[in-house]
Amino acid sequence: MGIAKFVLKRVLLGVLTLVVVSIVVFALTQALGDPVEAILGREAQPASVAAMREELGLNRAVITQYSDWLSGLVTGDPGISYTNGVPVLEVLGDRIWNSLFLMLVSALVSIPISIAIGTLTAARRDTAFDSTSSATSLVLASMPEFVTGLLLIVLLATNVWQVFPAVVRIRPGEAPWVDVGALVLPVLTLTLGVVPYVSRVMRASMIEVLESDYIEMARLKGLPERTVVWRHALPNAIGPTLQVIAINIAYLAGGVIVVENIFNYPGIGLALRDAVTDVNVPVVQFIAMLIAAIYVVVNLLADVGTILVTPRLRTRLQ
Amino acid sequence: MDNDRRRELWLPHAMSRRRLLAGTGAAVLFAACGGDDDSASPSTQGGGQPTGGSTGTAGGPATTSGGPATTSGGPATTSGGTPTSGGTLRVGLVGSTNDLIDGQYIVAKADQARLVSGWDPVVNYDTDFNISYEHSLAEEIETVAADNYVIRFKEGLEFHNGKPVTADDIIYSFRRRIDPKLNLAPGLAELLGPDGMTAIDDRTIEFQLLKPAVTFINGLAEYTTTIVPVDYARFDGDVSNQIGTGPFMLESFTPGTESVHVKNPNYWGSGLPLLDEVQIIDFADAQALTNALASGEVDAAVDIPFAQVSTLESDSNLRILESQAGNWLVITMAIDQAPFDDVRVRQAMRLIANREEMVERVLAGHGRVANDMYGVLDPCYPKDIPQREQDIEQAMALLADAGQEGLTIDLFAPDDTAGLAELIAVFADQAQAAGVTVKAQVLDGGTYWGDEYTKRTFATSFWSTRPYLIQVAAGSLKNATYPETHWPSPDSDFAETYDQAIAETDDSARCEIIAEMQQEEYDNGGNLIPFFYNLVDGHAANVKGFEARPNLLNLDHYGRGWKNIWFED
Repeated sequence: MGIAKFVLKRVLLGVLTLVVVSIVVFALTQALGDPVEAILGREAQPASVAAMREELGLNRAVITQYSDWLSGLVTGDPGISYTNGVPVLEVLGDRIWNSLFLMLVSALVSIPISIAIGTLTAARRDTAFDSTSSATSLVLASMPEFVTGLLLIVLLATNVWQVFPAVVRIRPGEAPWVDVGALVLPVLTLTLGVVPYVSRVMRASMIEVLESDYIEMARLKGLPERTVVWRHALPNAIGPTLQVIAINIAYLAGGVIVVENIFNYPGIGLALRDAVTDVNVPVVQFIAMLIAAIYVVVNLLADVGTILVTPRLRTRLQ
Repeated sequence: MDNDRRRELWLPHAMSRRRLLAGTGAAVLFAACGGDDDSASPSTQGGGQPTGGSTGTAGGPATTSGGPATTSGGPATTSGGTPTSGGTLRVGLVGSTNDLIDGQYIVAKADQARLVSGWDPVVNYDTDFNISYEHSLAEEIETVAADNYVIRFKEGLEFHNGKPVTADDIIYSFRRRIDPKLNLAPGLAELLGPDGMTAIDDRTIEFQLLKPAVTFINGLAEYTTTIVPVDYARFDGDVSNQIGTGPFMLESFTPGTESVHVKNPNYWGSGLPLLDEVQIIDFADAQALTNALASGEVDAAVDIPFAQVSTLESDSNLRILESQAGNWLVITMAIDQAPFDDVRVRQAMRLIANREEMVERVLAGHGRVANDMYGVLDPCYPKDIPQREQDIEQAMALLADAGQEGLTIDLFAPDDTAGLAELIAVFADQAQAAGVTVKAQVLDGGTYWGDEYTKRTFATSFWSTRPYLIQVAAGSLKNATYPETHWPSPDSDFAETYDQAIAETDDSARCEIIAEMQQEEYDNGGNLIPFFYNLVDGHAANVKGFEARPNLLNLDHYGRGWKNIWFED
């Protein structure tokens, strides 16, 4: 079985996963509440309720609603926002890219740091540095984003030092990187959520590699420890860590929702909150599917990546 | 997450999001859905009572007015110093992608702030809630009869684009306000027909109403009764048609994100506005908004969560602006359903309430005790009716008389209007002392405001500041928009008295009728009104021009369209 065939199989599996997720999402969003009552609120009179039901297409059979929605998703038309009649893609627009950008930057910052910390703590096992960073990461791992985020705001934005802005403002039409200073706290919050996990797995994986025969061999050849760790051990230790990295990147897709709400970052997380409040079902469904798709894609990439960086797996496929 | 937020001890946020104007927005967005007749009355923010009569006859009720004193909740905001021009004001508020801009209509507070920037009202209220021509387009309103008014507008008014305001624009503006398809102001539409206006000259219009109603003047004084040019329509992606007479012109608008407003060089108020630009920035969350104010990302913030006020007060760079308002929460009793069909049981409930404790526990102190009567900012609000205090003994005696000792009853509240869930919990606590078991039932907002709303025996609701007679039409008549308490009882002549009041053009005579009506609701009504809550905003210390005074709208009526606001160097 070639790599291409393996990838194809994984892609098909991913698509199947998304179809199952779509059923779950659709079913769960039915439980959000009655959108018509949420929209009309205090003025929900029977006549207007019936008319709006008709207008929103809620009179159709549930199966029809589902299949219409799914085929819309596939063809790039995820529906119309209930609250203002604007297409969902237009409502979300730049917000999708803003969120993806925040995820990407957080991943680019947190993954190298995690790998470096994991490697260093493994190489300097049982030193003060190792035990300090291990204790710190345990503390951080136990804190949810909304705690770290608010602590960072108190510390660096409002009460103690006013170094960074407490909120991110992305002007319409502007790219999210225009005000880099504003990105520091949200990225830091997400980074502090990822680094403890990835660095601990990296450390374990690195320790295993450092104890292997070929590292012993390299040391015996008289290679400097720096070369041994970074050139010989690191590439072999990353493979097993890739899966954890993937899970954490995928986790960032959920983490941005919390972080966006803390920092008023104009992404899909803020939109999701609005949409849930308003029982704006099409927007909720689309964001849920988007996050699911990110999970599937990142995991797929990790699977393929693991194979490519692990010689044993790579050769078995060929 | 959202439910937690709503249970926080502060009020304005949830209301501003969905419940500010009883969700009238949806009715407009889905105009085809109908339901026009039953929709909310003209935009709820009204307040006070017109002096009626013609210009300057403020005499009558002035003695009874007085109005509530300005609070000194936070450090008083002084507007001392010499105003300087220039600068960009960044205002933060809680908004969403549902925000809209319409020169004559709002749904949420974000919409209020934007409307007031671009459009001036026909008339206004002063701090005693008498009709005022300051900040207003009208120069004089002459009451010819209770169904006939002549309004003369100020001379030389121009729109943002320099076009003079003509009689055509004025008539168009009123026709748009009462257009049943747009459903912007159903209350006004009941009084005025599309053919009820005649231009006497280019700035004087005669209004012939469909029926006598002095509340027409309250309709004029709503901040949403503005003048727009002929063919004006709601913002639909293009800023160039968002033309009004107000101090700032819309430059850009992205719902849920921000709007930018630039100085109107043609503004009729001389030397105003002072600022070059105003940015109104949306926040999804009051906590993020408060942080933004504290870290200097915004210069002013609408609605500070009550629980955060003391923290912000301790920051010397910030000022809290706390204004008394006429907004209220209420526990409603259906007067035609057992056990509340017995007035003694209603009275017992009202005597069980410890209102001071409710202000403390529900509002964190940011409000004042109410006396089961609404319309507190109305100049006709009766001042001589004694404050109802908690009296458990008497409550128990009344319940015993009515054969209801040991009463057990469900009390309902929605989860989407901050403060109501807390209110019923506090009331349930207090009721125990009288041997009454109140089961506090918090329902999902959609369910609460659904079919059963206005049918429940014991429930809760919220209302914003309105003049007394406008509020009666909204909630205290058989054919009211939201007849929550099913008031009045069949043997009462309350409805006839109301008709008499709205036809009475003499201020003091009308105030006497209103006092009678208030007394009747105080004695027999189904409302348990525990308090009126304050408007609490914040701004940077170098922002000048905001004043703490009784107000309908936040941030000192949004600085009357920000025109009074300036930066101290």
